[in-house]
Amino acid sequence: MVWAPRGVAVAAINKAGAVRSAIVGACGLLGLGGATAEATEVKTAILGYNEPDRVKAFEAIIDGKHDFANGKIFNFRFVYDALTGASATGAAPASFTQTFTRPSGEGSYQVAPGETPLDDTFRDTRLALSAGLTMPLNRVTNFSFGLYGSGEYDYTSLGANASLTRDFNQRNTTVALRGAFFDDSISPEGGRPVPFSAMPDEGIQKSKLPGDGSKSVMDLGLGVTQVINRSTVVHLNYTYSDVSDYQTDPFKMLSVVDPVTGDPRGADSYLYESRPDARTKHVFFGRVAKHLGRDIVHLSYRYFTDDWGINSHTLDLTYRWNFGGGKYLKPHLRYYDQAAADFYQGFLVDGEALPQHASADYRLGDMQAVTYGLTHGRIVGDGHELTLRLEYYVQSGESHPAEAIGVLKDFDLFPTVDALIFQVGYTFNLFE
Amino acid sequence: MKVFQQGEYWQGRFKAMASPCEILVEVAQEAEARLLCEAAETEARRIETKFSRYREDNIVHALNNGAGQPVNVDDETADLLDFAHRCHEISGGRFDVTSGVLRRIWKFDGSSGIPSRKQAKALLPLIGWPRITWQRPQVTVPPGMEIDLGGLGKEYAVDRVATLLADGSTAPMLVNFGGDLRAVGRRNGGKSWQVGVELPGAVDSAGLKLDLGVGALATSGDARRFLLRDGVRYPHILNPRTAWPVMRAPRSVTVLGDTCTEAGLLATLAMLRGAEAEAFLAEQGVQNWVIR
Repeated sequence: MVWAPRGVAVAAINKAGAVRSAIVGACGLLGLGGATAEATEVKTAILGYNEPDRVKAFEAIIDGKHDFANGKIFNFRFVYDALTGASATGAAPASFTQTFTRPSGEGSYQVAPGETPLDDTFRDTRLALSAGLTMPLNRVTNFSFGLYGSGEYDYTSLGANASLTRDFNQRNTTVALRGAFFDDSISPEGGRPVPFSAMPDEGIQKSKLPGDGSKSVMDLGLGVTQVINRSTVVHLNYTYSDVSDYQTDPFKMLSVVDPVTGDPRGADSYLYESRPDARTKHVFFGRVAKHLGRDIVHLSYRYFTDDWGINSHTLDLTYRWNFGGGKYLKPHLRYYDQAAADFYQGFLVDGEALPQHASADYRLGDMQAVTYGLTHGRIVGDGHELTLRLEYYVQSGESHPAEAIGVLKDFDLFPTVDALIFQVGYTFNLFE
Repeated sequence: MKVFQQGEYWQGRFKAMASPCEILVEVAQEAEARLLCEAAETEARRIETKFSRYREDNIVHALNNGAGQPVNVDDETADLLDFAHRCHEISGGRFDVTSGVLRRIWKFDGSSGIPSRKQAKALLPLIGWPRITWQRPQVTVPPGMEIDLGGLGKEYAVDRVATLLADGSTAPMLVNFGGDLRAVGRRNGGKSWQVGVELPGAVDSAGLKLDLGVGALATSGDARRFLLRDGVRYPHILNPRTAWPVMRAPRSVTVLGDTCTEAGLLATLAMLRGAEAEAFLAEQGVQNWVIR
């Protein structure tokens, strides 16, 4: 969870019209009454995401901001997502055709020898709404609070957040304190399987946990934004996050393989995964924004660690190349490196004692990912902004881990995933 | 102060800050109009007296003759210095209230009297807001340096007067100091003020005609003030980082904004961008008129 830094200097290097907003803000220092007019800014975007042979997603976003011109700002956000396609189940490839029961218990699908098992019935739409209000408590202190709600076929999330920001040092330093709470519930198609219970054959009931799964998330964060000089702004942020209760993915499983051949054992070959029901995360984030002539460079580093054993490093670099007249090109490079969760394992071995928890979800594994992107923005019409963004994402891990057994040594146990992302954005003002 | 009836509103006229000043107030009674216009004139003169660099009895003189010693300033001056500090920061150093010393070598009188690069360079150590020690309420101006709030003065005065009048009356009013103007309070029946301002340097002299509800208009640039040598025009807008005119600056920039100070500053920053003035203004999404 990353906070958008407040502070005029940061705004100045983030968006078109920023010098004007900064000046309007500065005019506030003079108390020139009615310095700003009420204004509503609306940002819209549609995004397409495509992982060849896997997930396709479409997303529409509407972001509204109304400035009441008295220091109060109302934010509104609407997101619609539609996902379809195939997603990895966690089961390992095998030397023969594997048959899997669909999560609903009705029907089955087959996976060819050597192929990574994908459940191709992955389909979901999600609607998320959030709204928030920021209000000044005094000349240098702002208080914000907001509500969040999202719903999809089998998942709902409700959240609330509040934050306090204060400017110090002639507004060159901004400190932000933030808290958020989310209450999520999941009621998957076919119910929640008992961890480590076996995937039943088609038409047979799986062993289920009673009721819906629920999860609560509490985030606490502290952020500092510091203007270093007229061209440099540094932002530092720490977030502590505590997640409790059901965090297992009810659709993921692990193959139990023969210790010699590496193929699934004869009976009860696939066990549903099991994750701990408590997780504590720490996120350290730092970003430098610097003006280079009329261009702007953003460099950020994020370190993530949690008590599941996951550690990750993210380096993100963008260079906004301004051509004047509101036109710009912004190349983007992102590098991500993750060390696996302690309970991540590609498969279970027949005859060995079950661990306390295990998951073969590749998202919890050792991996590296690189994103290459390019955004183009331009002003059209009466100060409206049009942006086009194209990104290519590629993620890879250990295809042939040392612990592979038998036939598994010959298979790609961590196939490379790549995705193409295209976004069109349009920003306009409702009232002048 | 002269107050005239002009149909549905009253007009008060006076001269201040070397400009013709005009106050339009839409009230029924002459007495009320006169009261508002007089309050406007008093406030305009107060600001002129307080921040004029041509006087020896005001805070600006005290600051610039402090012999490098700290000077305590009042809240209003402190607010303006905070504002000047932010403007310096926002403009990447292009807007600098210490650049007034450049008047020593640059006299924009239409002549060909261009100073040498060496003369310009010699002044650079005396320019630069970061050289001023400003810790509210105390400011220290190093010997030889000058703070000049004149670059903000007229627009600030327009906004101050407009704010003062709006505090005392809900009547629709227009404050116009030599073409820098602000309208407060919507006129009855959806009417707007028909505003006419000169666009300095424009080929046709008709100027700009605009219907203004509430908002402000400010112009930067003075077509009559320039230097000309060997066919090269040196415009009256100086880059404080080079002590040299911004050579490809427009003749004038006029900007529509919410306050006169905001509009004036955007116009000045656009001038300081030189050849990129139009691009800068487009990026800011403000209505503007650029004359080249």
